[in-house]
Amino acid sequence: MKESIIVKILRYQPEKDQKPHWQTYRLDVPADSTILDILNEIHWNHDGTLAYRRSCRSAICGSCAMKVNGQNVLACETPMHKFRGNRLKIEPLPGFPIIKDLVVDMDGFFDKLQRVKPYMVVDKPIPDKEFLQSPEEFSRIRESAYCILCGACTSSCPSLWANENYLGPAALLKAYRFIFDSRDDGTDERLDIINDRNGLWRCHTIFNCMEACPKHIDITGCISRLKNRVVDNSL
Amino acid sequence: MYKRRKPYDLSYTHFVGSWAWLLHRLSGLALIFYLCLHVWVIHTLTLGPESFNRLMAFLTSPLFRILEAGLWGVILYHAFNGVRVIVVDFFGGSLSHKKLFLVLIAVAFLLWAAGSAVIIGHIH
Repeated sequence: MKESIIVKILRYQPEKDQKPHWQTYRLDVPADSTILDILNEIHWNHDGTLAYRRSCRSAICGSCAMKVNGQNVLACETPMHKFRGNRLKIEPLPGFPIIKDLVVDMDGFFDKLQRVKPYMVVDKPIPDKEFLQSPEEFSRIRESAYCILCGACTSSCPSLWANENYLGPAALLKAYRFIFDSRDDGTDERLDIINDRNGLWRCHTIFNCMEACPKHIDITGCISRLKNRVVDNSL
Repeated sequence: MYKRRKPYDLSYTHFVGSWAWLLHRLSGLALIFYLCLHVWVIHTLTLGPESFNRLMAFLTSPLFRILEAGLWGVILYHAFNGVRVIVVDFFGGSLSHKKLFLVLIAVAFLLWAAGSAVIIGHIH
């Protein structure tokens, strides 16, 4: 069964636009379409100039995060019926510079990720075979390891909108993932990096990140545990 | 590349957490404003009893009683949401922050209603 919808998309084509503007599309799409299906329908059958990122269409690659009807979602996993009415308003992720249409510049996002050393730092000899940790030890980091780096959380954070130097929830979550990993030895180094006015302490527990996270990770909880760790260490 | 310069994206949907934070900031600003006003009122004591009494007569008018009830609400909101933030940050309340908000605000509302009844009761 097909449904008629009106889709407004924030367009920006650097070769001809001074600033972004809204463009409206009227479409008939299957009722069970996702946001990505709708973008594909526009791109393939209506307007080939529309630019957006997509890859796996299975909520794993983290390419298609965007703002739809006022909130950050993954286009591929979000059915249009998540939103009431037959109107959609699609924008690029807030807080990031726009390269073209729905494609944003993620360089700053990944630079911040690099700053927290998103890899295992090991001082002790590495075992020949498996580097074991107990199920209990793994359970502390399991959820934080689900992050697909889509940027939906960092881009939804008002602290980042106000201050682009803020590390943001995704980088802090990555720091958590290694700081609380029983095999890692880089804790002090990472805590030094995130214990900063543009790090941990710029999280004001607004919870936009958790509302936006397509993997439903308790990001604010992880950041709070990092805050506790820093306080414990300084006492 | 187009760099958007918005200090706050008003079109982003507000959920419980962002409403709580926004109101916390606004109530904080209101309290700073009140504190300045309060210091200014107290300073009139240095100008002698007459000027202080004249100001106090003005400040105990019905309009200011109603504003006082508003101030009581602002204080309660800021204090109770402050407790919520502390629980979230230091006692692992992140997953129950919405319920926590509801409960604490309900208690704050009851205290506000009781306090306001007393304050409004002082209007002659």
